[in-house]
Amino acid sequence: MTFLQPILLAALPLIALPVIIHLINQRRYQSVRWGAMMFLLAANRMSRGYARLRQILILIFRTLAIAGLIFAVSRPLASGWLGLTAGGQADTTIILLDRSPSMLEQGAGTGVSKLEAGREQLASTLETLGSDRWVLVETTSENAIEIDSPDSLRKLPSTAPVGTSSDVPAMLEQARDYIKSNKTGRTEVWICSDIRENDWNAESGRWQTIRDSILELPQAVRFHLLAYPSEAKSNTSIRVTSVRRFETVDNAELLVSLKITRNASTEDSVTLPVQFEIEGARSELTVNVEGPTLELIDHRIPIERSNDRGWGKVSIPADSNSADNDFYFVFDRPQKRHTLIVSNDPQTAIPLQLAASISPDQATECSAETLTEQQLATVDWEAVSLVMWHAPLPGEESAKPLNDYINRGGQVVFLPPREPGSAAFRDVRWNSWSDQQPAIRVEFWRGDQGILANSQSGNALPVGELEVRRFCELSGEVTPLARLRNNQILFAHLPTTHGGVYFCTTTPNLQDSSLTTNGVVLYVFIQRAIEAGAAILGQTRQLAAGAGASDQPINWKQISGPEDALSTDYAHQSGIYSSEEKLLAVNRDQAEDESRVLPEEKIAGLFKGLSFNRVDDQAGSFEGLIQEVWRIFLVAMLIALMVEAILCMPRRVPKVEDTGFPRRQSDEDAGPTVDRATTTQATSTTI
Amino acid sequence: MPVNRQPRSFLDTRVLSRLAGMPFLARQPMQGSVSGRHASPHRGSSVEFAEYRKYVPGDDLRRLDWRAYGRSDRFYVKEFEADTNLRCCFVVDTSGSMDFGSGDVTKLQYAQRLVGVLGYMATQQGDAVGLSCVAAGVVQSLPPKRGPAHLRTMFDLLELAEPKGETELVTVLHELAETIRQRALIIVLSDLFVEPALLKECFQHLRFRKHDVSVFHLLDPQEIGFEFKRPTRFLDMEGGTAIFAEPNDIADRYHKAIQVYLEDLRQVVLESAIDFHQVRLDEDYEQVLSRFLVGRTRGKG
Repeated sequence: MTFLQPILLAALPLIALPVIIHLINQRRYQSVRWGAMMFLLAANRMSRGYARLRQILILIFRTLAIAGLIFAVSRPLASGWLGLTAGGQADTTIILLDRSPSMLEQGAGTGVSKLEAGREQLASTLETLGSDRWVLVETTSENAIEIDSPDSLRKLPSTAPVGTSSDVPAMLEQARDYIKSNKTGRTEVWICSDIRENDWNAESGRWQTIRDSILELPQAVRFHLLAYPSEAKSNTSIRVTSVRRFETVDNAELLVSLKITRNASTEDSVTLPVQFEIEGARSELTVNVEGPTLELIDHRIPIERSNDRGWGKVSIPADSNSADNDFYFVFDRPQKRHTLIVSNDPQTAIPLQLAASISPDQATECSAETLTEQQLATVDWEAVSLVMWHAPLPGEESAKPLNDYINRGGQVVFLPPREPGSAAFRDVRWNSWSDQQPAIRVEFWRGDQGILANSQSGNALPVGELEVRRFCELSGEVTPLARLRNNQILFAHLPTTHGGVYFCTTTPNLQDSSLTTNGVVLYVFIQRAIEAGAAILGQTRQLAAGAGASDQPINWKQISGPEDALSTDYAHQSGIYSSEEKLLAVNRDQAEDESRVLPEEKIAGLFKGLSFNRVDDQAGSFEGLIQEVWRIFLVAMLIALMVEAILCMPRRVPKVEDTGFPRRQSDEDAGPTVDRATTTQATSTTI
Repeated sequence: MPVNRQPRSFLDTRVLSRLAGMPFLARQPMQGSVSGRHASPHRGSSVEFAEYRKYVPGDDLRRLDWRAYGRSDRFYVKEFEADTNLRCCFVVDTSGSMDFGSGDVTKLQYAQRLVGVLGYMATQQGDAVGLSCVAAGVVQSLPPKRGPAHLRTMFDLLELAEPKGETELVTVLHELAETIRQRALIIVLSDLFVEPALLKECFQHLRFRKHDVSVFHLLDPQEIGFEFKRPTRFLDMEGGTAIFAEPNDIADRYHKAIQVYLEDLRQVVLESAIDFHQVRLDEDYEQVLSRFLVGRTRGKG
């Protein structure tokens, strides 16, 4: 039980008042001279059981009445969130609202999404609790914003669903920064989320930093998590994995590959109509989904030959989550994929150039160019899909265009030069070369995702067959993708917000490794990097929601998508947009389709050491998280008073007739009559 | 002869005048010394026929019924009821508890009024009246005698009666039953704060001695209702231990105790065949006396 006005509980000792008054009353007795002592003595000898019990009950009910009144004015809350507001109203309440697509999942048979339920619950709960200041941090916000009241949660556009995944650690950092810079006093942080793994990034090192920095704050910060962990029993999502424009002899076609993922408790097959919309022209394909996933490869959709560039959309019927039933895509003529190889070593550059210039299919034109670092000034970076840097790490001058290229989404693969040097790129540097005699093989590589992932058919790349005779040690914060048997890194990925930066610690030179002789790994590695880099080429972009937020989405024009989306939120809303000459397709992040929920203990671990409590709610449940229950106490007080009054009611005194005594004169109906007229005889007044 | 003209506090001439027309009769034959208004156990020469009896030698020839002899040729003596006066003894409880009264009068004052009226009426019809003031024992005693002078003496004694001391009514009544020689009308005025079983023995003793026993049981309304609000320390008016009680707490049991007592007392009254009158102090004593006198008239009829 918690209270909105706990200070009033200080009056609880007043419940002793009835007892004190009773004791005082006992001392303020009167003395009466009494004749009928024999009855008093007899009464004293009788059992006092009921009378004493009655007396005690009266005192108890009086005490309860006062306690009920005190509790009622203390405004008690009925809630499972123990310790919710102990200490009273917060100075500042910060609301972290997860608006990610998974929050659009609806509760069974309710038609209410988790986001709607969470907003409503937060609004009603926080209205009850009250606070001096309200702050909102939501999925797309870059800074915490102050709002007028919790009721704003119901109305503000910035609480509407978006296609962007949440970054809860980043939201917490925003909240922390706000607390630091605004001297918020006693602060409550309310998090409303469906605690999906991709939103919470539980493995991120930022959590430790957040915990430490919050613990260092001078003011008390309490965290409350309103979680919606339940998953819909049956939800189907659709995602386009690739779109290619293919020209035939007399026509053109779109080859659309898509993946349908079903989150169903049963393995029954289901027939699903998939609707394609290309530039407003609709067609439908019925597919039979057996098992959890269905992949449709290269579904052909004829288009006009003149239709070089355009957009499309695939849809499935509405289900429990409306956010994953559509997927937008754009298409264009295949762009020429140009690879830039920066190297002074021909023996290394030639295999790289070969692997980069051989196209994986006929429709795609690939080319590669080898040049030195000094020639970079002449490069047209807009036409480059991959940079392979086999030279000392770039200096400050060379790094700038490279960083710009990466920030635009470009891909760079660094290979160790003969002379590593001491330069560093984004805090990563080459150390010294190490010879391995005999050659060493690869012990581990990431086959589930990344550039060395298994093929679409599920077969692993022959990374384990590689032999490395020389490698250059690497230092810096990188994510290993493959390790040698001596635990040294062979392939690594440098985490970046945009683009891709990879490090390979050996070269295709025959003296260094078998990358050339075992060409599959090298070819796939390079072609995948080229494909990723090609996404920034041409006039079309396939963006994950939120990825384009750093551009100027307000200048975008919506072609297809939710009609109520704000222009400032275009980068976060799924749809088709045009920006100048470019055509942009924005969709939810791929991780949103993986509906994995963080386990409870994991969440508890993230807030370890902090004041944290959690309640699980369900979409569609509008039963209040907390309710003011002062009425119950008031009713209890009234009942106690009524019972006390009944107990205090004087017992029925035996009627005069019952005692055998005659009634008083006034009650006498007709007493013995005395004929007063006959009293003729005067009596002397004195005798 | 000097006469004290100070009015008696317990006498109301209007009441006396209103009740003067009512007879004050005994419920059973009395043995008086002079002729009076009450039946005697002996045959006499009043005008009220009693019975015929066969003549036996020695009977007064004047009482022979000559008409009966003429009709039956046998001698019968015609007998008539004898009327005599009575000896009326008032037994007034003057123990401490009789000083209680929540209204205008105390129980003793109420008893004084009753005794005053009845004593006056008895004297007026030629009966002898006597008074015994009793508490732990017989405090004051005045044997029954006739005449206004004696009544004045009795009233003096009655006026001086003080309520104090414990009640030993049972002992006193037994003692009086033995000491009052001839059959008499004994009127007891008391709050009867005695075990009913003990009272029963007293009444039976008095009845055994051929006395006509009347009892006025005086109780104050407060003693019946026990309507106190605040915690109270009850001081025993007869010198016993004080009792502290919470009225709300004890009232139920008090009522129960008094109910049991009154039930027992009623049973005692029924079994003892005494003339019993329960009186609340808030009743008009004139009505109490009217009821008493009318009841005795009916008894005689």
